[in-house]
Amino acid sequence: MPSGLFHTNYEDDEKILQTLWLKCWMWGFLVFLFVVFPNVASSLSAIFGINVLHMANMIGIFIIGAHGLNILTGFTGQISLGHGAFMGVGAYTSGILFMKAGWPLWLSLPAAGLVTAAVGMIFGVPSLRLRGLYLAIATMAAQFIIEYTMRNWTSLTGGSAGLNIDPPVIAGLALDTDKRYFYLVFVLVVASTLFLKNLLRTKTGRAFVAVRDRYLSAEIMGVNLFKYRLLSFGISSFYVGVAGGLFAHYNMIISDEHFTMWLSIQYLAMVIIGGLGHVLGGIFGTIFMVLLPELLRIPSQALSNVYPNIFAIFGTLRELVFGVVIILFLIFEPDGLAARWHTVRAYWKLWPFSY
Amino acid sequence: MKIKQYVVWLAVIGLVVGFGLWGCAKKEAAPIKIGGIFDITGPTSAVGKDYAQACKDAEQYINEHGGVNGRKIQLIANDYAYKIPEAVNLYKQYKDVDKVFVIQGWGTGDTNALKPHINKDKIVYISASYDSKLDDPSKTPYNFYVGTSYSDAIRLAMKFIKDTFNEMFPDAGNRAPRVVFIYPDHPYGKAPIPAGKKMAEELGIKVGPDEIVGLRAIDATSQLLHMKEFDPDWAWVGGTTPSTSVIVKDAAKLGLRTKFISNVWGFDENLIKLAGEAGNDRIYGMAPFAFWGEDVPGMKAAMEAAKKTNPEASHTVRYIQGWSAMMVMWEGLKRADKAGELNGPGLKKALETLKDFDTGGLTAPVTFTPTDHRPNTSLRIFKMSNNKLVPVKSVSIEREARFLGW
Repeated sequence: MPSGLFHTNYEDDEKILQTLWLKCWMWGFLVFLFVVFPNVASSLSAIFGINVLHMANMIGIFIIGAHGLNILTGFTGQISLGHGAFMGVGAYTSGILFMKAGWPLWLSLPAAGLVTAAVGMIFGVPSLRLRGLYLAIATMAAQFIIEYTMRNWTSLTGGSAGLNIDPPVIAGLALDTDKRYFYLVFVLVVASTLFLKNLLRTKTGRAFVAVRDRYLSAEIMGVNLFKYRLLSFGISSFYVGVAGGLFAHYNMIISDEHFTMWLSIQYLAMVIIGGLGHVLGGIFGTIFMVLLPELLRIPSQALSNVYPNIFAIFGTLRELVFGVVIILFLIFEPDGLAARWHTVRAYWKLWPFSY
Repeated sequence: MKIKQYVVWLAVIGLVVGFGLWGCAKKEAAPIKIGGIFDITGPTSAVGKDYAQACKDAEQYINEHGGVNGRKIQLIANDYAYKIPEAVNLYKQYKDVDKVFVIQGWGTGDTNALKPHINKDKIVYISASYDSKLDDPSKTPYNFYVGTSYSDAIRLAMKFIKDTFNEMFPDAGNRAPRVVFIYPDHPYGKAPIPAGKKMAEELGIKVGPDEIVGLRAIDATSQLLHMKEFDPDWAWVGGTTPSTSVIVKDAAKLGLRTKFISNVWGFDENLIKLAGEAGNDRIYGMAPFAFWGEDVPGMKAAMEAAKKTNPEASHTVRYIQGWSAMMVMWEGLKRADKAGELNGPGLKKALETLKDFDTGGLTAPVTFTPTDHRPNTSLRIFKMSNNKLVPVKSVSIEREARFLGW
């Protein structure tokens, strides 16, 4: 009798949820996420002193973007320092189509993805010739060019004063509260995660991984390098464009300040801390990066109430601790949170026998 | 095993009782919570730190002087580093978690960005941005600021330039004065420029091409060289003290004859240290507030409060700005409490009853009405001379309806 996980055919081996338990957990998690969580969020906010539902929405939006960067950097092995700006392209596209052209959300959001995909692919063209640090610099150029455009095309983007955007209306229901928006965001988070997970099981996904692992061998095997590198830029930018569109309608104000180099670096930090090349990596990394500064605010706020005369110092302390925590993380958890999660899971699965 | 269980139970009971007591203790005091969005680490931190410190000290002062009819206030202060996204974040935190109905805010960009939220949530928002776009209650009913608006300041500056032109540039003859505008490409810098240009046009002042100097600039030579082609008599500077001092120092280095006139945030006591000799007789400033230590009745309280937290403290006009914003809010809260409406709309109504409210000379008397949120329309013009800030002239402009809101 086979014990543990023992697959006798290829289909079984490729299943996403391999055991009944896993299925139960997954459904349980989804029920919690969509039924329980939004209803208890306000009490959680009161207990923890942070705005839980707002954080959840921000996490959801950035998860979609981080998935996008993970496709490009984690699975195809191309570094991008332009994803912050690409998110801005999505945000402005959706915002402008929604506010100035009067498109509904279900049209403006995919349009945001498509336009961003097109822009991303244009800046992805150098990826045929450039790799590694060289490509990073080339995509950084995208960051600067797009940022400059966002700031100076005042008639379209509102310039440095930003663009006000109304919350979307779906089926007569204005998504103007955090709770209503939560459902929109998390349906898309689940959809994008599923798409990503499945993408990796297709020919395209395997081609991405082959390009990442050794592009020469991939080419010899018949993978069209240029096509897949560009496709990777396209899909990746689509994701981050949709995230930008969601962000625009949620925040109700966008300006070039949102989509700076810093955001691009944060995106990279998210996928690296979460785990490059893991679907879970984008999720864990985003939760970490979005929550940490919020959590660090609580002690700095409390301390500034106790010591009003050195209160200015605690404001800066938060940034410092944020930096230190990230450095420590990279030293002690270089494979990312997703890898740690797998270790922990394996430990419990095998417990009490560690082999 | 038994002992272990015992310990666990004890811990649980302890936690429950502890939290319960904590909750009760919190309920008993129930201070009025006030949100605070300050810049302590960002590009305007040079002026933001002192402002924030004043608000924090004023909180203590208010609580020691009776609070709001006996109730204490609690200022929840956070740094947002002059980033619009972070301000939106904090705003949501204050609204949903801390349930505040009044916020002490900061910048022009973020305050304008939050306008739709503020209107919807009916939260009184007192900003350190004196942007004229915030003073028309038909559009922004819940926005307030204490100070002379940037637009009125720039109009006054243009008037001042026109009125004193022959006297200050005797060899200019009959030609029109020439002015350029130098500002950072940021909502704060850009806000008053249209008003300034319109006023210049009305007064027959010739306007040259704009120059952009960032808030964190360490060099303005190329902009000043470009400006030199137009050879302006005056340049309006909309920045903060460090960026203004960079501009005047470079102007001195290049030997420009142009005189500079700065918006409120670019002119304070630190300018003497930062600009040094280069500032003397070159830089003028719009000063809607009393400088630190000036002999006015309201100064004593502020200085004592500052001394209390830090005995060796020496502050700047920024302290007075923050202090004044808190004092006006305090008065509003007291009036709202008396009317039994301690909430956003109640505070708004209470603030709108302020008529020539005297801040003890810290700033011109403050008046708000339901149709006009311009606190005042007068200020003093100072200049830097002999390493001192000396008053030049008190100026004021009519409270004209056509200037409301821009």
